[in-house]
Amino acid sequence: MEFEAVIGLEIHIELNCATKLFCDCPNNPGDDANVNTCPVCLWFPGAWPRLSRAALEKAALVCLGLNSEIQPESAFDQKIYYYPDQPKGYQLSQGHLPLARGGWVEITDEDGSIKRLRIHHIHMEEDVARLVHEMDGATPVSLVDFNRAGAPLVEIVTEPDFRTPHHAMEFLKILRTQVRYVGSSECSMENGTMRADANISIRPVGTNQMNTKVEVKNMNSVRHVGDAIAHEISRQSAAVRVGETIKEHTRLWDPDKKATLPMREKFEAPYIPDPSIPVIEIKPEEIAALRSRLPEMPATRAGRFVKEYGLSAEEAAYLSSEPETASYFEELIRLGVAARTAMHWVSTQLLPALRQRNEGLAHTLVTPKRLSELLAMLAKDEINAAAARDVLAHMFASDVSPADIVKARGLGQVSDTGELAAMVERVLAEQAAAVADFKSGQSKAMGFLIGQVMQASAGKANPKVIKELIAQKLSM
Amino acid sequence: MDSIFSYLNPDAPGGATGPHAGMKIAVQPTIGIAGWPARAGSEALAGYLSAGSATVIDRLTQGGAILTGLTHASELGLGVDDTSTSGRAVETKTVHAELMLDMAGEARLSACRGNLWGFKPSWGRVSHTGIAGLIPSMEACGILAQDPATIRSVLKTVAGADDMDFSQPRLDYKEISADEIKPAQFTLSVIGEAATLLSGDERKEFDEEITGLKRYGFNVRTVSWPDYNLCLTVHRIVGSVEASSAAGRYDSVRFGRRAPGTKNWNEMYLQSRGAFFGTLLKSYLIQGAYFQFERYDAYENACRIRARLLKEASRLFEQTDVLVFPSQKPAQPASLDALYEQFKLTAHANVTGCPALYMPSACAGGQGLEFAAGYGADERVIALGEYLHRQRAGGKL
Ligand SMILES: [Zn+2]
Repeated sequence: MEFEAVIGLEIHIELNCATKLFCDCPNNPGDDANVNTCPVCLWFPGAWPRLSRAALEKAALVCLGLNSEIQPESAFDQKIYYYPDQPKGYQLSQGHLPLARGGWVEITDEDGSIKRLRIHHIHMEEDVARLVHEMDGATPVSLVDFNRAGAPLVEIVTEPDFRTPHHAMEFLKILRTQVRYVGSSECSMENGTMRADANISIRPVGTNQMNTKVEVKNMNSVRHVGDAIAHEISRQSAAVRVGETIKEHTRLWDPDKKATLPMREKFEAPYIPDPSIPVIEIKPEEIAALRSRLPEMPATRAGRFVKEYGLSAEEAAYLSSEPETASYFEELIRLGVAARTAMHWVSTQLLPALRQRNEGLAHTLVTPKRLSELLAMLAKDEINAAAARDVLAHMFASDVSPADIVKARGLGQVSDTGELAAMVERVLAEQAAAVADFKSGQSKAMGFLIGQVMQASAGKANPKVIKELIAQKLSM
Repeated sequence: MDSIFSYLNPDAPGGATGPHAGMKIAVQPTIGIAGWPARAGSEALAGYLSAGSATVIDRLTQGGAILTGLTHASELGLGVDDTSTSGRAVETKTVHAELMLDMAGEARLSACRGNLWGFKPSWGRVSHTGIAGLIPSMEACGILAQDPATIRSVLKTVAGADDMDFSQPRLDYKEISADEIKPAQFTLSVIGEAATLLSGDERKEFDEEITGLKRYGFNVRTVSWPDYNLCLTVHRIVGSVEASSAAGRYDSVRFGRRAPGTKNWNEMYLQSRGAFFGTLLKSYLIQGAYFQFERYDAYENACRIRARLLKEASRLFEQTDVLVFPSQKPAQPASLDALYEQFKLTAHANVTGCPALYMPSACAGGQGLEFAAGYGADERVIALGEYLHRQRAGGKL
């Protein structure tokens, strides 16, 4: 029997707010343990939560960025469960009245078609504390760090529209791009600012059954999500084939064993309306105001890049996948750089160099203005491409202007025909064999001859001028 | 230690100025005062010192009031029992006023026990910040005093918007003075269903108290609130569900107490939860957990009924200025049922969020009366109290 999978995702995203969800403590979980705490996020007696307006706005932007409908009324509930990282015995979450309902993300399926994957709802919740188990000393100790307690999260719960690991991975990639665009989170699975759990069940192909689902957690990259789902589909299929019943439970992905391992029975916590946080009312005009703050979303932007700048669909998608990259590219164009040159230099020179240096576009010294100055010199043949790459390499380390780097390093291009003619003359005399090859119709010999002249000029000659001069001499 | 106070202010009172200069205040240890013990009558919080002061405390001390000390509270302020000394400091005139939680009637019941005036403000009228309650949607900071004028002046200082408490509703509160009370134009109504809860003797006493009101020229009529008794049922379900969460925050471990003899950290945490709560509180919390986990439908139903009770109460207040209820001195609660017996005439105000004032009886041994007004009309019951207090002082009975 052939099986197909029915998959839904639950994605937690840590909002990049300055403060926590219900207090004014800095939202910096990585600081020294327990420095970012107060009576509210430690849940001391008498502390009452105060919902952060900034977090509500960032969460609402996520909803709008994912085409989800913000509800006129939403409210917080107490999700009742106890764990030492949640010592107050309940987590503030939105179980009954989520911030937004519906929504979708469009992905490209493996056959190239566009598939729309639906979102069921999006709600806000607070993060829990972090447990640290130190087992090394004479007495092992378990410590609780409350820096993360009360950090603002949104949870995106999808419909069970996914059938393959590809669907889940593409969904996560597009979701990450869209959320980064609205500026609400970095969405890094590696750094834990995005976490995804998958609910997976299988059924015979062609049926409409909803079978018992298994929850899989602990994947810390998009790749792992794909691997874990693939593993779980084959594990469940094999189990059903030998007559086992699938029981509802939670499994952990073990990236080393490349397998999902059972953790516990799935536990459904009750949700009780929290009386201390007023109902959140959002008026249509407030939603409209938030919507006006939405940037141009990646798919729209990519479409415009194709139309306005003549990029291919792949190039446009690549440049618009990160809002900073797309803005950088457009800034270069605004500064007079030709679209194709800008695309080429950003994608093949700038971004790889930044990756290598572990830098980001936001903080690099190679601002669009400086890069545009360099590319202007290239366009005017004041330097050649090799020199331009050399200059770029120096631009990361200091903010000296590209023109000064060119001067200091003597990289100015030699286009003076008199000076170059002498070099060409000398090279042609030395390379009689190549000259003969060229004359007998082997056009490849031209490239060799140009290279020889470039070498003679220490890389500074203008290859276009050299080519013209060689052609002139040899046609005589 | 003092028989009334569990903790006395170690600082000698300075020459503070302000509207409350010289006013001495006793505080129930459910209300935080920075650096003071805040055990709220519970072993679970035995080692806890308050991390900050409640807004009510800050406002009163800024107004010149002197904090005399902390009283002894029943566990987490629930109910009125023999361990609680609430009301005793005012009764003995050691202090002028006392602050305590009212979650089901405790402030009014304590006032009844000590023949004092006791007031529960409208829900959210006074900031919750820094007050460790059990039932967030029903609790309010109660005020006890020898006379209603003192209650009015304390309320004036502690009430109002607080940036630290987002749950406070923004309402316009109307000032009403005792001079504005004109008995002939002021309607008082007795809820017939509440009066039927009294025994024969109690009923006779209540009727005498009502006769007293009529003597002042008030027209007192009896109205029906068929669902009145559901107030206690709703309180029982919704209150215990909220309490189960609220008390769950006092996991002991963070407050210094740990269950001994556990195998590992996880078990230690689990065993310590609730291990230091007393029997009565435990059974209350277990009742709440039962509704959370086993009978969520009953909880939802109770929430729906509560919404209906709120509507019914506001309809009653469209036809009357003040509702009049009988009162009963609280008996030591040995069981959960006995605890609810204390609340049967007071829980309505916590369920609806309405303001309520307990007025001691003019006759020795009398049980006194409770007045309730519509949500937000706190000053109306206080003005009525002041009017009656003046009449009594003037020798008219
Ligand atoms: Zn905090």
